[in-house]
Amino acid sequence: MLSINAFNTYRIPQIFDYYRPRDLREALKLLESVEGAKVVAGGTDLVVDLKYRRIEVRALIDISRLDELRFIKLEDSYVEIGSAVTIQEIVESSIAREKLPLLVEAAESLGSWQIRNLATIGGNLCTASPAADTAPPLLVYDAELELVSLRGVRTVPIEKFFTGPKRVVLERGEILRSIRIPVSRNVFGWSYIKLRRTSFDVAKASVAVLLDARDGYIVDARVALGSVAPTPVRARGVERSIVGLKIEEAARVASERVVNEISPIDDARSTAWYRLQASKTLVSDAVWRAYERLLKIGV
Amino acid sequence: MFNFIGRSFPRHDGFAKASGLAEFTFDVEVPGMLYGRIFKSPHAFARVGRVDASGAEALGAVVLTPDDVPDRLFNPRLISIEEDTFKDWRVLTKVPRYFGEPIAAVAAPTEDTAQRALEALRVDFEEVYDPVLDPFKAMSPSTRPIHERVMRGGRWIEVKNNIAAELRYSEGDLDSEEKRSSVVIERKFHASRRYHTQLEPKGAVCKLEPDGTLVVWTTTQTIHNTKILISQVYGIPMNRVDVRKVLLGGGFGSSIHTNLVTLIAVGLCLKSRKPVKLVLTREEDMVHDHVSFEFYMKVRAGATRDGSITFGELDNLIDVGAHQIQAYPILGTSLGWFVSLYKWRAVKYHGRSVYTNKVPSCAIRGYGAPEITWAVETVVDELAEELKIDPLEFRLANYRGRGEIFWGQGPTVKSIIRSDGVPELIAKGSEIIGWKRRESPRVKTGRFRRGVGVGRGFHTSGAGGPLSGAIIDYTGAVVKVNEDGSIDYITALQDHGGGTLDAHIKIIAEELKIPPGKVRVVWSGTSTTVYDVCTHASRGVFTGGEAARRAALEVKKKVLEYASRILDSVSPEALRIEYDRELSDAVIFVEGAPEKRITLSEVARVAWQRNWGSISASVSYRATVAPPSFTVYFVEVEVDMETGVIKPIRVVAGADIGTVISPELAAGQIHGGFAIGWSWTVGDEVSYLENGVPAHRMSLTDYKLPTSMDLPSDEDFIVLFASTYEPFGPFGAKGLGEAASNPVIAAVANAIYNATGIRFYEIPMTPEKILKAIKEGE
Amino acid sequence: MKIKFKLNGVFTEVYVEPHETLLNVLRDRLKVRSVKYGCGVGECGSCTVLLDGEPVPSCLVVAAKVDGSEVTTPDHIAQTELGKVIVDSMLEEGAIQCGYCTPGFLVTIYAALARGVRNVDEIRKAIAGNICRCTGYVNILKAVKKILERVGS
Ligand SMILES: Cc1cc2nc3c(=O)[nH]c(=O)nc-3n(C[C@H](O)[C@H](O)[C@H](O)COP(=O)(O)OP(=O)(O)OC[C@H]3O[C@@H](n4cnc5c(N)ncnc54)[C@H](O)[C@@H]3O)c2cc1C
Ligand code: FES
Ligand code: FES
Repeated sequence: MLSINAFNTYRIPQIFDYYRPRDLREALKLLESVEGAKVVAGGTDLVVDLKYRRIEVRALIDISRLDELRFIKLEDSYVEIGSAVTIQEIVESSIAREKLPLLVEAAESLGSWQIRNLATIGGNLCTASPAADTAPPLLVYDAELELVSLRGVRTVPIEKFFTGPKRVVLERGEILRSIRIPVSRNVFGWSYIKLRRTSFDVAKASVAVLLDARDGYIVDARVALGSVAPTPVRARGVERSIVGLKIEEAARVASERVVNEISPIDDARSTAWYRLQASKTLVSDAVWRAYERLLKIGV
Repeated sequence: MFNFIGRSFPRHDGFAKASGLAEFTFDVEVPGMLYGRIFKSPHAFARVGRVDASGAEALGAVVLTPDDVPDRLFNPRLISIEEDTFKDWRVLTKVPRYFGEPIAAVAAPTEDTAQRALEALRVDFEEVYDPVLDPFKAMSPSTRPIHERVMRGGRWIEVKNNIAAELRYSEGDLDSEEKRSSVVIERKFHASRRYHTQLEPKGAVCKLEPDGTLVVWTTTQTIHNTKILISQVYGIPMNRVDVRKVLLGGGFGSSIHTNLVTLIAVGLCLKSRKPVKLVLTREEDMVHDHVSFEFYMKVRAGATRDGSITFGELDNLIDVGAHQIQAYPILGTSLGWFVSLYKWRAVKYHGRSVYTNKVPSCAIRGYGAPEITWAVETVVDELAEELKIDPLEFRLANYRGRGEIFWGQGPTVKSIIRSDGVPELIAKGSEIIGWKRRESPRVKTGRFRRGVGVGRGFHTSGAGGPLSGAIIDYTGAVVKVNEDGSIDYITALQDHGGGTLDAHIKIIAEELKIPPGKVRVVWSGTSTTVYDVCTHASRGVFTGGEAARRAALEVKKKVLEYASRILDSVSPEALRIEYDRELSDAVIFVEGAPEKRITLSEVARVAWQRNWGSISASVSYRATVAPPSFTVYFVEVEVDMETGVIKPIRVVAGADIGTVISPELAAGQIHGGFAIGWSWTVGDEVSYLENGVPAHRMSLTDYKLPTSMDLPSDEDFIVLFASTYEPFGPFGAKGLGEAASNPVIAAVANAIYNATGIRFYEIPMTPEKILKAIKEGE
Repeated sequence: MKIKFKLNGVFTEVYVEPHETLLNVLRDRLKVRSVKYGCGVGECGSCTVLLDGEPVPSCLVVAAKVDGSEVTTPDHIAQTELGKVIVDSMLEEGAIQCGYCTPGFLVTIYAALARGVRNVDEIRKAIAGNICRCTGYVNILKAVKKILERVGS
């Protein structure tokens, strides 16, 4: 264990090299060949970890300016976002605002303006924090992640990406290239609600909901939560149990069922008990808000 | 009517601050300086065996160990007189008594080398003890003593049961008052340890002049006491220590004394004979330096059916952490706040300060008043409710106001209240907040519930008094007229940001009838200023401002005397002095003889040209009273009954500060006072794990402060000033800084009760606790 | 390693270590002291600078990253026309107390205005990453209103 004397938040208390590759291929090569190298994008998680010695590195490979990772494009059936796109760019992207309002709502709640200008969507996912704000929306959107390495490319559904707190399926030498988000023709109501200690904070608990309804009955529902389990989680049980219900009923059932799908803990931000209680309210609130938005789009 | 007082002028240091060009300690740089780092104890209670410096020295670092510093106990705060000063600190310790206590320090030519040298230090611990964290357990005779003996003044005293200090007091016949009471309420309160979170982490830069004089720039609210302490600890004559004034990035009590970092930096500088810069990182500042006192209060109070308060009893147990800063004085002031709030006919008090193995604690804005006021204002609210009397009427009938004896700063500094704006503030504030429409929590339903609460408090203006007492409180000012009539103002007083020195500028300008722009505050140090005790106790404007006024008055006398010579008047008394807007200067004239006129600048020029000498004055001033500034805050909150989240809706904050010298800056004190009080009520807390390591909150990542989105906007925040005049204050002014935050916890807590019907007796009142209480109530 | 970037409009070349942040390089190598350290972990906003026009916490930016970029610091902004309007309004409204946080606010408010934001609520949100312990933000919001009046649309 490193002692308190090893921390330094003014100056990073470890020595390493820095590389800025010209393209993705060079980045992958460096990642493969440089001992103890780690990818850095915005650095908002990594630099903090380095200052607190949560990790030690020998080299940083800066991917934040690679054009191959910095795009948002709209295809027929999906939107694709490069992993080095910043959270603020998502907030301001017209494609995202039109096609992925739920992701935008979550992105707006992440950090501060300053943080959003550095933080990337790729970094948010690869950090694998249970509280990552972009994760719940991407879970309900059924996003797919494209991972590249010198060995090739593979695609992983986001539900399989997180394996535990601070753990993802990324293998050594692999970089998250992009996130592909299917866009259906169906119209959904959406809502991202985040509970936090102050308005500039990581979530105590968060919920993302996408909802479709007809004549007051839920016909499609997707629910995911953050910060209430070892990873961001999709609450499929909740989804199943509310399809076919009237909205009032659906909100109530969702709030009852959600407790079966989460396993919160105590930490600096809140307690397990509170997270469990609050999740019930959050889910119900989010279902309602998504429904109300759906009605608004309807007219 | 005043020329300048009460009008807005941009603060003198504003551009420098906004542009970032102003220098804080963190910004001071001396050629050739070394960078320091502190070795902090990883154990909350242990005994050091050996400090092996060889690894660090091999890297070229200078290492300071406990053997390198004078083996002399001290108290970092020199406010009490020597006989009442408890000393239990060392610059570096061999027996760390809290997690993070400095054991050694290094200095090296670069920051990276200093960091590596720090990590290369090897410290063996002979013994590691279980830390004593619970102050109640600490008092058990079987608990390991944290200090066996400490010094009081010049003699050793034994510490029994880890009690650092104790104070008992009683007045009146409590038993019979209790018997007379129709209602008696007893409640226990707990106020958490809170971190000041001044935005600038503490630090120090030192250098030795070729003649051996030690020059120090450091985060402190008192340059002179810092000079004295350095002199006492290191045995350097006081005229060989020049502590320079440098801007402070917020105070709130965090630098009310001489911070350890200053003494360590001095040690490194003396050992290396090189300039040294030692600044704390945020987490060092937060976890390892010091925080607020933690209070466990039990209040008992009674009242008769007709609504008069009978007795008050306070049991006040304070967890002071591992060392004393003001463990003894805080017991006296706590009593002072308690006694001076209401007209108790009988009082009983038992105060104890208890050692634990936690970071030491010291005053935070209000010096115990916010916590005591919260406890008392809660009990008073409950008494009124029991008696079915409007809480405002109950307060008006029982508070200590004009004509009453008042001793806010403790039993040794008593005075009589001469200005009191409480009735006016209650009348106006209650009108604006809509007090009459306030409903009982019992009739409230629904998920989002609003509630209105009131809190009334006060703070003293300084710690002056008619007798010398146990507290040192005097100040000084030098005012000097240059040969062109511009003014240099030289003071040791620090301005933490409240605008204290801008108030002084206006006071001097008002006295001399010259525009404030002609007065310049000179950045000086202990060598060039006369003694000031400290910018604390909300004394900056009241005491410091009066010193400045008196110095200006002396200067004015001299100016009039010279003018009289020039104008050929029979005596200076025949002259009038007035501000001339067009000339932007003071004009001195003989009434009725328009040709007999001269400006102040011309007087200064003539005095120079004719060899009459400098026009200047040096004043040392002790206030003989410490009048209360009253504050009455009404707060409306909204509670989400399903998440326990509280939001501030509206604040109507009334303050009686006598003459308002700078309206926008005074309002700023009130906004800021509310903000910090709100933060204490809903969030601030430093807590510990069983091994004595602070839980979670090692940085601002988890010590969250409210943002612009979490506090009321300008539209929801109304500030009221009472129209009072304090006869002892400069131009009628009183203090404000602490009064501004003292009633906040009380007002918010009472508002939460009014919204939810639940009383919380513990701060912070987090959503977690609120929701739990709501669920338990269901 | 050497990096080149535009600092307040002037091409600047400076030697940096890979483990240095932009905050370290600005303060300690280039002696730009207007950028303040308050937490080092992105939480307080005291170290805010403009990086290619966007406000960022310089304490989290690896210095080597700014090679080829543009950096603007509060001391420079304070001298610009828009910067002066911000500073004057803050002064008039008593929005500055200890002043440690103020340069950070200056940068963020400037950046918001420079992007055409003309709405108090949006600026209030934009400054949520700038922590102030002294003012309770009330006079800062008053200053923002005054700034908006002065800047016009
Ligand atoms: C003050 C503050 C507030 C914050 N608030 C929030 C908040 O409200 N919500 C929230 O969710 N997060 C928050 N964060 C965390 C952080 O900002 C986000 O997680 C951010 O999105 C991380 O992105 P980054 O580009 O900065 O990641 P970096 O720090 O650059 O990288 C993070 C990790 O991901 C790896 N990585 C990055 N990109 C890739 C890639 N393309 N392929 C493979 N690995 C990669 C890195 O090696 C590293 O391990 C906050 C952080 C700070 C400092
Ligand atoms: S020092 Fe960079 S945000 Fe606090
Ligand atoms: S003015 Fe002091 S922190 Fe903002």
